[in-house]
Amino acid sequence: MSWVKITAVVLAALLLQLTVFVDVRIAGVAPELMVLVAVLAGISAGAARGSVIAFFVGLAWDLYLATPLGLSAVSFALAAYAVGGFEKTLFSDSRIQVAALTGLATAGAVAAYAVLGELVGQRDLIDDDLVPVVAIASAVNAVLAPGVAPLMRWAVAPFRFAEVRGANG
Amino acid sequence: MAADAMQTRRLRYRLLLLVLTALALLTLDFRDYGPLETIQSGLRDLLRPLINATDVALGPLGDLWTAAWDYNELTNENEQLRAELGRLRSEAIRVEADREAYRRLLEATEIDYLGNVERVTASVLRDLVGNFTDDVVTIDKGRRHGIRPGLAVVTSSGFVGRIDTVDTHRSTIELVSSPELVIGVRLVDNDDVGLGHGVAGDPTVFAVDAGLRGSETAEPVEPPAVGSAVVTAAESRYPAGIPIGWVTEVAETEGGLVEVVTVELATDARDLGFVTILLTPPTDGAEPDDGPRQAGTQSSRNAAGGGS
Repeated sequence: MSWVKITAVVLAALLLQLTVFVDVRIAGVAPELMVLVAVLAGISAGAARGSVIAFFVGLAWDLYLATPLGLSAVSFALAAYAVGGFEKTLFSDSRIQVAALTGLATAGAVAAYAVLGELVGQRDLIDDDLVPVVAIASAVNAVLAPGVAPLMRWAVAPFRFAEVRGANG
Repeated sequence: MAADAMQTRRLRYRLLLLVLTALALLTLDFRDYGPLETIQSGLRDLLRPLINATDVALGPLGDLWTAAWDYNELTNENEQLRAELGRLRSEAIRVEADREAYRRLLEATEIDYLGNVERVTASVLRDLVGNFTDDVVTIDKGRRHGIRPGLAVVTSSGFVGRIDTVDTHRSTIELVSSPELVIGVRLVDNDDVGLGHGVAGDPTVFAVDAGLRGSETAEPVEPPAVGSAVVTAAESRYPAGIPIGWVTEVAETEGGLVEVVTVELATDARDLGFVTILLTPPTDGAEPDDGPRQAGTQSSRNAAGGGS
C-alpha cells in the first residue's frame, strides 16, 4: 500500500507544479516541488529507498521537461542518496534541521541537474539565471519542508520500518 | 561492523544501478527510441485529464498570485499599452506602406511564404514549466490534428520554432530563440546560406555563425546589408522562404570574411497567442524528425530538424 501513498503524494506535487506553480513564481523562479518531494523521500525513507523513490519522482518530472529523460531522475536520486546518508549520521529530526537539510539538498539537486545537463550536451542550463534559481528554490523548499515532511513520512512509513528492520538484521 | 560495510556496499550498488538506468534512458532518448517516446506520450495523455481538472480547480490561485504581486507591473503595462495604442494608430498608414514594401521584397526574392502549404492553427496554452524551459511552449493541438515532431511553426510575422513533443491533444514547440535549435537560413541580400540559432539570455536575437559561404571558401563575400531579410533556406528541412528576421549586425574577420551575422527575430517568442503549424513534411522527403542526431545532445534532434 505504501507505493499507492507515495504515488499519490508525487502525483499531487506534479499536478501542483504543472498548474499552480506555472504562474506562482518568486522573482520569476518557480518553486521546485518535485525536488522537495525527492529530497524529503531521502530524509524520510533513508538513502537506499529514498534514492529509488526520488529517481521515480525525477522520471515523472522529466516527462514534462525539454531536457532528456533521466536527467532529473539521476539528479534527484543523487540528492536523496546524499541527504539520506546525512540524515542518518548527523541529524535528529527537528523541524529546523529538516528545513536546513532540504534547502541544501535542493540547491545540490538543482545544481546537479544543470551541471549534468551541460555534460550531456544541453546548452543554456548554466547561465546567470542559475544562481537565483538555486537560491530561491532552496529557500522556498526549506520553508515548505517542515509542513510537507509529515506527509512524506506518512507515505514512506512502511519503507522506513523495513529499512530499520534490515539494519538490525 | 561487517553488517555496516555490507549495507554500505549494497547502498552503493543500488545507486550505481540507478545511475546506469538513467544513462540507459538518456541514451535511448537521444536516439529517439520510438517505444520510449510512445510511453512518455501515453503517460502524459493519461495524466492530461487530471492536469486539466487541477488547472480548473486551482487556476484561480495562480491568477490571484499574479494579480497580487504583479499589480503595479500590470498598471504600468496598461499605461504603456495605452501609449502604444496611440502610437500604433498614428503609424497605421506607415505600417500599411511597410507591408506593401515587404510584399514587394518577397516577390523580388521569389519567396512564396506559406503559399499552398497545408496548415493547422493552434493557440499557445502555457509556457515556462519549471525553471529551465524558457524556450518551450505548449499548444492545444496534437497528434489527432495531424501534428508530428519536426514540423515548422510560424506566425504571420515569421518562423516561431519546431514541433518537439507530440501528445494526442497537446504538443510542445521548441522556439526559434532556443540556442539548441539550429536552422538553415538564407541571407536574402547576398544570397548566402548558413546555419543559425538563438542566443542564450536574449530571446529576440538569432546568430548565423556557421556554414556561411565566405567562412567555408575563405574568400571574402559581400556582407549582407543591415536591415536586409533573413529567411529559411531551400536546403533547410523547413519550407523555404519563411522569414526569420532582419540583419542587425555583421561581424567580419580582419580578412573580410563574414563571421557572425546577428539577426533580430521577426517573431516575439515571448508573446505568442496563436501559431500556425505547417503540415508539410521536410523538403528532402524524409519523415519529420527522422534525421540523424549529433551524438550525445538533445539539441542534435533540433539540428537535424534545422537543416543543413
